[in-house]
Amino acid sequence: MRQSLLVLLALTLAVTGRASVAGAQEPASREEVIEQQQAAKAAALTPAEPGKAEQYVRRLSDSFLASTTLHPFWQNAYSGGGFTLGAGYLKYVSPYNTLDVRGSITFIGYKRLEAEFIAPELFNRRGHLSVLGGWREATQVGFYGFGMGSAQQNRANYSFQQPYLAAKMEVFPTRRFFLVRGGLEFTQWKQLPGEGDVPSVDQVYTPQTLPGLGAQPVYWHTQGTIGFDSRAPGRGYARRGGFYGVTVHDFTETGGANGFNQVDYEGIQHIPILREAWVVSLHAMAQTTYDKSGQTIPFFMMPSIGGGSDLRAYASWRLRDLNSLYVQAEWRVMVNRFVDMALFYDAGKVAARRADLDLGDMKSDYGIGFRWHGMAATPLRIELTHGNEGFGLVFAASEVF
Amino acid sequence: MRRLMTRGLAAVGGLAVAVAAAAAAGPRFYDDDPIAREPASRSAAGARPLDINLFFEYSYNLFVTASRQPSQLRAGNINSIDEVPDSSWFTNRIGAAPMPGERLTTGPNSGPAPAPEKWVLLREKNAGTNPGFTARDANGRTWFVQFDIPEFPEGGTGAVEVATKLFWALGYNQVQTFITSFDPARVEIDPKATVRRPSGARTPFTHDDLARVLERAARNADGTYRVSAGALIPGTILGPFRYSGTRSDDPNDLVPHEQRRELRALRVFGAWTNLVDWKAGNTLDVLGGGDGRMVVTHYLQDVGSTFGMANNPHEWDMGWEHFYDPEPSRRRLFSFGFALSPWQTVPYEFYPSIGAFEGDHFDPAAWKPQTPVTPFVDMRADDAFWAARKVMAFTDELIRAAVHTAQYSDPAAERHLADVLIKRRDTIGRLYLTGINPVVNPRLDGGRLAFSNAAVDAGFAPAPAAYRAAWSRFDNATGQASPSAETRSTTTVIPAPGGVPAAPGSFIEIAISAETVDHPSWQQPVHTYFRRTADGWKLVGFERLPEKLPEAGATAP
Repeated sequence: MRQSLLVLLALTLAVTGRASVAGAQEPASREEVIEQQQAAKAAALTPAEPGKAEQYVRRLSDSFLASTTLHPFWQNAYSGGGFTLGAGYLKYVSPYNTLDVRGSITFIGYKRLEAEFIAPELFNRRGHLSVLGGWREATQVGFYGFGMGSAQQNRANYSFQQPYLAAKMEVFPTRRFFLVRGGLEFTQWKQLPGEGDVPSVDQVYTPQTLPGLGAQPVYWHTQGTIGFDSRAPGRGYARRGGFYGVTVHDFTETGGANGFNQVDYEGIQHIPILREAWVVSLHAMAQTTYDKSGQTIPFFMMPSIGGGSDLRAYASWRLRDLNSLYVQAEWRVMVNRFVDMALFYDAGKVAARRADLDLGDMKSDYGIGFRWHGMAATPLRIELTHGNEGFGLVFAASEVF
Repeated sequence: MRRLMTRGLAAVGGLAVAVAAAAAAGPRFYDDDPIAREPASRSAAGARPLDINLFFEYSYNLFVTASRQPSQLRAGNINSIDEVPDSSWFTNRIGAAPMPGERLTTGPNSGPAPAPEKWVLLREKNAGTNPGFTARDANGRTWFVQFDIPEFPEGGTGAVEVATKLFWALGYNQVQTFITSFDPARVEIDPKATVRRPSGARTPFTHDDLARVLERAARNADGTYRVSAGALIPGTILGPFRYSGTRSDDPNDLVPHEQRRELRALRVFGAWTNLVDWKAGNTLDVLGGGDGRMVVTHYLQDVGSTFGMANNPHEWDMGWEHFYDPEPSRRRLFSFGFALSPWQTVPYEFYPSIGAFEGDHFDPAAWKPQTPVTPFVDMRADDAFWAARKVMAFTDELIRAAVHTAQYSDPAAERHLADVLIKRRDTIGRLYLTGINPVVNPRLDGGRLAFSNAAVDAGFAPAPAAYRAAWSRFDNATGQASPSAETRSTTTVIPAPGGVPAAPGSFIEIAISAETVDHPSWQQPVHTYFRRTADGWKLVGFERLPEKLPEAGATAP
């Protein structure tokens, strides 16, 4: 706007100049008319500079592109923590590798503080390494009992504190599609009495009725994934392609009492319709656990469903048991390049026996969602959902799948 | 605040007009009218580089420019006969003189093609979607080398090649561009070559950096790569130009860019070629001059987002919607996607080297670039008419010749691109040549007024029942017209009435209108002005539409 004003002032000066010059010498040709205006402008030149608004935007965008960046961090310590405030400081430690120190806290006191080193371009850009160390605390994680028969009103809370140090390497040997991932983590889950408006688990259960109550196991957690990933344009926001993978976990407890194995099976498929204006997106996830002889799987390490990413109308960690299965279907509609809306349906169950993981007697919900996204990420997802236990409102800073 | 600023601007603008009016005591037409070239009389040596923030530009154009009301002002850089004179922005080429096919296919290329026997890499490419870098060829000349992406083999390079020829012929300053080859086995890296890393550090260009570029490029079966090479423009690079306002450090830049007809006309040319990416970053101001006076020359430096070339093959809405378009967004939101947009269902004959580009459902009025720019908003029907005549000047043969320069390996793709351009050309002509009074080329000679009808000549409209000419004596000093007679004809030749002044230096004004029920707008006359010279009558003035149009309903469709 300021520049427009200057331009018009310059033009005015130009014309005024012309008038005064004209007073001395009337132009005899069209060329002279223009040349007199150019002469007048030449006497009033100013540097070509961006306006104030543009300068402000430039400073803002430059700060995002700078090698050290202060950034918001919306990830809370554990699902169910509620609205999160957080910030991080990312610094390039080499041309491509970064170190990000970040922390977050929620209104109900979930805390997270961690540092992550990322080397995104290993093995000629085939490999991605993450080394993550930190500490988190969740103060009122819900536990409703085991199995599909657990009741909403039987909620008890527990808390935990967890220091962790983990390294994860992901490699695409052929650069695209075929995926191999491996990870090693050293961590302690320190389960403590819960806070909040409902009873603490230790007030409702005993170590005999709730496996792992009060346990503070230290794990060596190793995992390996093999998969096929064709999602595009990116994992964080996909409109086509899919992911099919199996992940095997080994949790070896240093004390030899709470070790177990777990296998995750996951499938995602995005089916574009009408040139991706509509997308039917399907997701299935099964988690199965295997105990190690003579050892107990603590309740807080068992698979669970419920929360903003799976069974969305249900409270976080609403269903829990040794095995879990959930399926999701979404009909996504492109509103514009930055906003999608979706109608969705979720269904899931937990079971003590793997053989009971079928599609019968599942808890289900449905809802509508709006997603603000970029080319390959979904920084904001808002969803209204309804199931047998009422309505749910989801605010998330990531894609659902 | 914005309203206050707008009022302030209006006041200052009004002041400018008032002072101009007071100063405009000179004649309506000068002896040198119509000028063929816009003078650039002052040195712009003080002009300094300017960078335009892309995020700000996109945001401003999507949310401010998109809701701008058209100014309805006549183009500010046209000469007295409604034509665009040559300038540092524009050179009259097609439509102004015969354009042989060989001249078109040469286009802006005046120097030798690159020598691809050896490439020395100098710098990475840091803008645009297609991978590339700056490199020196075997002859030591510097080029901007750009590859195709694997999804569109031959697509990006072909689009640049064809569009460069078309936009050069249309009159714009273009970069010399050649299709050539790149053999990774014959590459050296200049010891001083650097790459800007994500960290912001600039470090030496390595073979791994080359590999990174080539991983994103479409490779030939023999291991070489097809590339488009654009020559380095001599002079001092000043960065992009803005589509509105003027450069405050260039004394020769007088007309606000949104009032430049050749920039308004880009909306028509963009629609024709589906050039959707009109960000300032695709333009370039260069300071140079051979005669001691430094002049800023304005380039359209990247016209490669044309035809169906997009960032990826899944951007189906290109040319149909802005990046953010409130109306279709609302329709899809409230219908849950069932209110389909045309781009979802239009059938395409798809070739990877062309992309999604079709001519059967093309509507130039509905066409949209990624983001609107001010000259497009301000384009009037007379600007669109001028542009349509330029487009119509491309014969089928010229279009096929231009397309052939892309060296597509698939003859069907080449044929398809030319066919679509021909269809879209005709759609543009049919819309814009018929939209307003299409009388062109008036001549007054031997006691008769002759002219042409661009719409009828192109076969887009039947000849009107009659033409009417209202004759007036014109006082060039005062601008007053004195009606003298009215004549009529069923052809494009109308006899002059008796009493037409014969003295050299006298002027007459003739208002020419057409009588037709098919096109009521043709009844609005064009105003022509002739000056008597020793050799006869010379056309010195032409006005297709008035200086300022009513607020609504008068913009180009």
